[in-house]
Amino acid sequence: MVSTVQNTDVKQKDSDHAVVVAVASRAVFEPGAGGGDGVYAEGVAFPLLQALQKVNERLLEENSAESLLFDIVLITTDSQQQQQSSQLISSTKHYGLEVSRFCFSTEEDFSESLLKNNVQLFLSTDRNEVSQTSQKGVLSALLDEYTASCPSEQLRVLLCGDAVIRPDTNPTPASRQAAQSFSARLGKMRQRFGMSDSPLSITLMTSCGGRDSCGGALQTLRSLGISADEAYCLAGAPQGPILSVLRPHFLLSDGFSGLED
Amino acid sequence: MSEMKPSDVAAAEDSSEEQDWNAAKTFFDSLKSNKPRPPKPRFAVSIAVSSRTLFNMVAERKIYEEEGVEKYVAFQVEHENEPLKPGPAFPFVKVGLRTSLFTHFQLAFNLSDLTIERFCMTGGKSPIGYLEAYMTNLYLSKDSDKVTEAIEAGIAAATVFMPEKESELSDTQLRVAFDGDAVLFSDESEIIVKQHGLDTFFEHEKHFENQPLAQGPLKCFLEALGKLQRKFYSKNERLNCPIRTFLVTARSAASSGARVLKTLRSWGLEIDEALFLAGAPKGPLLQKIQPHIFFDDQMFHIEGAKDLGTIAAHVPYGIGQKYHKGKLIEQPAKKE
Repeated sequence: MVSTVQNTDVKQKDSDHAVVVAVASRAVFEPGAGGGDGVYAEGVAFPLLQALQKVNERLLEENSAESLLFDIVLITTDSQQQQQSSQLISSTKHYGLEVSRFCFSTEEDFSESLLKNNVQLFLSTDRNEVSQTSQKGVLSALLDEYTASCPSEQLRVLLCGDAVIRPDTNPTPASRQAAQSFSARLGKMRQRFGMSDSPLSITLMTSCGGRDSCGGALQTLRSLGISADEAYCLAGAPQGPILSVLRPHFLLSDGFSGLED
Repeated sequence: MSEMKPSDVAAAEDSSEEQDWNAAKTFFDSLKSNKPRPPKPRFAVSIAVSSRTLFNMVAERKIYEEEGVEKYVAFQVEHENEPLKPGPAFPFVKVGLRTSLFTHFQLAFNLSDLTIERFCMTGGKSPIGYLEAYMTNLYLSKDSDKVTEAIEAGIAAATVFMPEKESELSDTQLRVAFDGDAVLFSDESEIIVKQHGLDTFFEHEKHFENQPLAQGPLKCFLEALGKLQRKFYSKNERLNCPIRTFLVTARSAASSGARVLKTLRSWGLEIDEALFLAGAPKGPLLQKIQPHIFFDDQMFHIEGAKDLGTIAAHVPYGIGQKYHKGKLIEQPAKKE
């Protein structure tokens, strides 16, 4: 059973043109923690939401009639949180988060509700959830504790050019397609801004391959209309150090390899 | 190209460095290529070079400065299939790679025949975080601000200059020359010269002959080269060692040289040739040595080296930055 509640505080986006991003409410607010006055405390995805909002803000500054915006949906399967749905809604309004609507779903209907809502990217801290939705063809990315320390002023997306970063999300043709089309729209958004002072930054990283692999990935991105701000060809070097410097909000893999089979 | 098997992938996910390096080796082993295989990174020296030091990008730089970043990018895209000409760090990198000494973190894209596989394009941001993250042994750039930042972060770094003339450099032996004070050693003695004169300096050095000097910004790079050299020595290849190091100092052997040699010894470091000039110009001597790169803290010596065809790299460290040809420079107000 799925129920959807619109956030009356926020102007609804044009569903034909907006990029729908669904975030698990568990990632946005600390589950169980009462922040006083019945308001939830901030979760790890808080800076991420602020960064998404920042992009929207800047897009509208460039063009007040812009329709290519992020449409943010909070999705909840946790029955506990569902019971406290009013608290969820009031917390969202309290922080002024630009969430268009709230989706309350059972676990069984979860992927269905994402697809029905035309969700182009699903973000969660739950590895199993991400794995399941990914297999159903919804582009999904895992958030972790590092997401909390990411900047809130700029959305930083990392595209992985060789599909080895997330071994548990098997790249199906459908998910590859989803990754490419989402990234293409991201690329379009990026074009609205100049080279510097962009609220959105797209980084390419290839982990194992050499420079041909990275070069190929950059060409693939270019063919999708994506101009990467930064590129890293690690050629086998460990990813840890570079990730701690890059601090991306989330990683997307599949669909960017230059040497596709 | 073979796909990574699930077991390799699982290993790669492990955050330990060992697993990643093994995964990399597996990958490289599976490549069918005639190119020399890059050395296993932990035993090699890690150098970071900026694209402008590896390649000659003078024309591009002009566009960037005069017409702005968007035009610069457009120009690059227009010309992206044309190989770039070599820049000042090219011979150093080429011979270093050819003799399998270096792995590279290289901040450029348009590559020629060099087996540089690793690179970072930071989109204009400071590379210091990355240099630290990857334990870079040496950073070469044309941007003196970035170089200064790196030195302040404890990374050996220098600003590289293109010489006026070309010279014949060895293809089989990497030759690296260092100034002593404020490069390998701290600038403590140089401060004495500048503030109290040569006589005081000689007395001081003689008096403190047995007290090691403090280390300078490039000491750790010399150390890294030394580690590589010892691997060749252990295989009885001292005579054919593909690295040769030189000390080229204005000190004189008689009066102030001993302290330098004793300091190196106390650090357990060797230098192949120590040349004490007693104040004579360095240019002619360097012309004979023909190093692939020469590090000095004073622009006066850099210019002298450049004029006679030596690739020189300035180390912006110490009291030497405040002087030019022995006179104190009027410092402009520091930029905020």
